[in-house]
Amino acid sequence: MKYALALLAALLPASAFANNVQLESQVFVERIVTGPDGKEQTALQEPKVVTPGEKLVFELNYKNTGSKPADDFVVTNPMPAAVSYAGGESDGSVVSVDGGKTWGPLASLKVAGTDGVERAAQASDVTHVRWTFAQAIPAGAQGKLTFRGTVK
Amino acid sequence: MHMTNDRAAISSRPALKHILAAGTIIASLFAASPVFAQGTVAGTLIDNKATASYDTPQGETTIESNTVSLRVDELLNVTVASADSGDVSATPAVTNRVLRYTVTNSGNGSEAFSLAADGNVGGDDFNPTITSIVLDTNDNGVYDAGVDTVYVPGSNDPVLAPDATIRVFVLATIPGSATDGQRGIVDLTATTLTGSGTPGTTFAGQGQGGGNAVVGATTATATDDGRFVISQATAALVKSASVIDPFGGATQVPGSIITYSIAATVSGSGSLTNLRVGDVIPDGTTYQTNSITLDGVALTDAADADAGRFSAGAIAVSLGNVSAGTTRTVAFRVTID
Repeated sequence: MKYALALLAALLPASAFANNVQLESQVFVERIVTGPDGKEQTALQEPKVVTPGEKLVFELNYKNTGSKPADDFVVTNPMPAAVSYAGGESDGSVVSVDGGKTWGPLASLKVAGTDGVERAAQASDVTHVRWTFAQAIPAGAQGKLTFRGTVK
Repeated sequence: MHMTNDRAAISSRPALKHILAAGTIIASLFAASPVFAQGTVAGTLIDNKATASYDTPQGETTIESNTVSLRVDELLNVTVASADSGDVSATPAVTNRVLRYTVTNSGNGSEAFSLAADGNVGGDDFNPTITSIVLDTNDNGVYDAGVDTVYVPGSNDPVLAPDATIRVFVLATIPGSATDGQRGIVDLTATTLTGSGTPGTTFAGQGQGGGNAVVGATTATATDDGRFVISQATAALVKSASVIDPFGGATQVPGSIITYSIAATVSGSGSLTNLRVGDVIPDGTTYQTNSITLDGVALTDAADADAGRFSAGAIAVSLGNVSAGTTRTVAFRVTID
């Protein structure tokens, strides 16, 4: 029996023993609610349905559940087609306005206008958001990345 | 899928080019998808999923997050606007004068709208009587009697796709008592049939795509006003006479010459079309041939190119279209028999 187990272990792919990072996506909607004191306040709710114009907050929670650091960690979030990018809240994010072809701070990017002339990219042009980690994520470490969007 | 590509981009240049092509295709797909100015079409699902990659001693690993799925509900919004460039001129007692409006579905789902016109609103001088609301069926921007369809509430409520606009005509009769310069307002109101009310009011399950319908910022009902202004010109005639007798005096004796002057003054606003001034030669006098003048300019008696004529014992001068604020003076001479 011991032998059999050892054999099984040897047959398992290496990844089963490799580092394990988990990535969880959450989307909240920012809504004005009336508190118990009758005052209006902004609340983050986890909705099932939204309407055009509502403000969304996207959260990505990562956690290194493995036993080794994770190097060169890169997180990419394509913008859903019905959502307009409304700014990043976590440091170090770059965006793409051409489907992931080129990346950079929004202010550095340009897109072709309808007349063929390049113009400065707007937040609504963003197609992807990306974070590239300079430091490895230590084993057991976790964090949160956030960006905002508006339902088109 | 993205991350697999992205990682390859970092580790190998040739692979990068490969991905760039894929990225370009994705971008053009985004561009091709319909974009509605008034928002994502109701029922659309917003799916968000992130990917990540990292290096381990065993090599590259790519992971995906869970997918969060949100459905876009229907927002009920409508916009009404007058389509006339300004006040529409009308005259007292005229029937079927036309005001033009546009009704736009500014929500994100297909909706039917009820229409109502009201001529009895405040802030004006008279109340136009609404005779009908007509839909611009042939979409040419002009009311075509017998061609465009008369609106019947509950029967042919216009159904508009998101962002779609329909032109609507309101036909009204102007009261006979209205006078020059007075204004009459007609309100056109369009209301979403699903419901209206305070923004945020929800009609469960009644949205396009099976979701809820939620009243938007416009309260799902909108009104704009069109205005009639009475543009009426009136003519006043003032006739005067001067006499010169054969002796240099002003007595009315046989042989005296009477010069009649008729001043036609048009007042109000607008103009009078084909204004004609006529006068019968008085009994006991004889008309002096070719003595008609218009503003001091001689006219011939013949029915010819000039404006004056004499026939059947009367003079007539055609003044054509005369704008309000204008005075034209016709004169002619007779001799006392």
